[in-house]
Amino acid sequence: MAQKVAHGSKVDNLVVKPQRRISTRNGFRQLYFILFPALVMLVIFKYIPILGIVIAFQDFNIFDGVFKSPFVGLDHFERLFSNPDFYSVLSNTLIINFYKLLFWVPLPVIFALFLNEVRLLKLRSTFQTTMYLPHFLSWVIVGGIFVNILAVNGGLINELIELIGGKPIKFMYDTNWFRHVIVASSMWKEVGWGTIVYLAAISSVDPQLYEQAKIDGASKIRQIWHITIPSITSTIVLMTLISLGNILSNSFEQILVMYNPAVYEVADVIETYVFRTGIGQMEYSYTTAVGIFSGLVGFILVISANTLCRKFLGRSLW
Amino acid sequence: MVGGKMEKNITKVDKGFVFFSYTMLALFSLLVAIPIINLVSVSVSGMSHVLSGNIQIWPKDFQIEAYKYVLSSKEFFMALNNSLYITFFGTILGVFLSVMAAYPLSKIHLPGRNKIMILFVFTMMFNGGIIPQYILMNKLGLLNNLWAVILPLSINVFNMLIVKNYFESIPEDIEEAAKIDGANQFTILIRVMLPLAIPVIATISLFYVVMYWNEYFYSRLFINEFTEIPLQVYLRMVIFEAMDPAGNFALSNANVKLAPQSIINTTVVLSMLPMIILYPFLQRFLLKGMIIGSVKG
Repeated sequence: MAQKVAHGSKVDNLVVKPQRRISTRNGFRQLYFILFPALVMLVIFKYIPILGIVIAFQDFNIFDGVFKSPFVGLDHFERLFSNPDFYSVLSNTLIINFYKLLFWVPLPVIFALFLNEVRLLKLRSTFQTTMYLPHFLSWVIVGGIFVNILAVNGGLINELIELIGGKPIKFMYDTNWFRHVIVASSMWKEVGWGTIVYLAAISSVDPQLYEQAKIDGASKIRQIWHITIPSITSTIVLMTLISLGNILSNSFEQILVMYNPAVYEVADVIETYVFRTGIGQMEYSYTTAVGIFSGLVGFILVISANTLCRKFLGRSLW
Repeated sequence: MVGGKMEKNITKVDKGFVFFSYTMLALFSLLVAIPIINLVSVSVSGMSHVLSGNIQIWPKDFQIEAYKYVLSSKEFFMALNNSLYITFFGTILGVFLSVMAAYPLSKIHLPGRNKIMILFVFTMMFNGGIIPQYILMNKLGLLNNLWAVILPLSINVFNMLIVKNYFESIPEDIEEAAKIDGANQFTILIRVMLPLAIPVIATISLFYVVMYWNEYFYSRLFINEFTEIPLQVYLRMVIFEAMDPAGNFALSNANVKLAPQSIINTTVVLSMLPMIILYPFLQRFLLKGMIIGSVKG
């Protein structure tokens, strides 16, 4: 039926085409005119900064501007690779983000599988309403929520620790704990929301497969293992690839909000470093070079992960 | 017989798994809810209970002194005002630009459409980074101006694509009929397409509101002047730099009748209120958006 209708309309298109061409051509100039404001904004606020990365190859100063500042080639990149600070922030970035990825890949899948078992619709929507909420709170508010429960003086967590006989921990100022706080708060904020994409993937699995498995006497867990998981693998791979691409820029805003000088040593990531030394000490060219490096590494990571996926799993982003 | 036994075992395992799922979901929901409830409870509890760490879940010695205190500070309203300004004008500009870009790009026959699309989508993957954006704002003379936050975020390709997909799903016949009546593209967009696109415009408006309200980084980057900071930057100072809601960096001596943590939490609660109020709409429109998406797919 549907095919027939589609076919019919195609024929209609062919018949009407010459007339439509003429009538739409008159509208093209108007359409470009409508598009113009957005295009101007795109060029000014997206493309000019992209072209602005040329200052990484200059000794840029704000008075001479991009056009008059002298070119210095790869000097800033050489400085970058000989700077111990850079290696320290690079390793912080990788450690924190791979640590996050360790939880970020499985947790939303697992909770989506759990949610899928809930048949009571009211209860299910209560769970979802609660779990999705933190996604809409800003990092500053999430920071405030964690500062409150992690407070040394009367915070809920430290009370519990004292209750079982431990000593209160200064979570936000302790270099041993701060990374855990970063990962835990980011899971608290985003895991619930992360289930949505998997719930959608699970709901599109052919129900006949489950019927067949039930007849064969497969338990729920076997059904999940042999039907659900294989059906959503491509979604999992896709989501992981996307996170991998952002691995060097992820968690920037969160850390900018939550860190303090006491934990710079373990929490300073590439972009917070760029922000502090770039804007604070006006090291414009050097920090732009750092930014380019970080973008490049992210790009290479995605490309290589994508190639590996295509080779071994037959799935890819492109 | 054996088959029957196996089936029984399986249903037992299944029931166990379902029970486990409910338990884990309940635990996770509590894990999300308790910190928020505790936050509110500390904000409305008596000082002695807060200082001695006596608040677990529900408030003790209920009072709203902290709310009176924060709501009497000029600085809180100054930051609130800045945030409202950014959110209001940002959302209007963002929706305007998204619709204006989406409509022409939804026309398959538009010459150069694919090239322009690439131009838009490319910016989702690459950006110039922090410093070039800062220098641009400096050159435009927009540092310490709320528009420095509004303008770069108003171009949101993701929102534009949502609107574009929606326009593409509107049957071409409707446009043809309007053309036969002699309407030009501007009239079609305003009179015909916009009324049809109200649900999707509501959806992206909410996205823009959430984005601008929660925005922190650009405000921190472009705005240094204390009188121009939006609520999130102000809130960060109160939470992490122990700033008094009145702008003095001495929260501990701020007020003898109030625990510092209550003042901080009150500021946090007041700042998250708009999102909590919008939340039912956010969920509903999100669902709608997903239905639109799935019909398309």
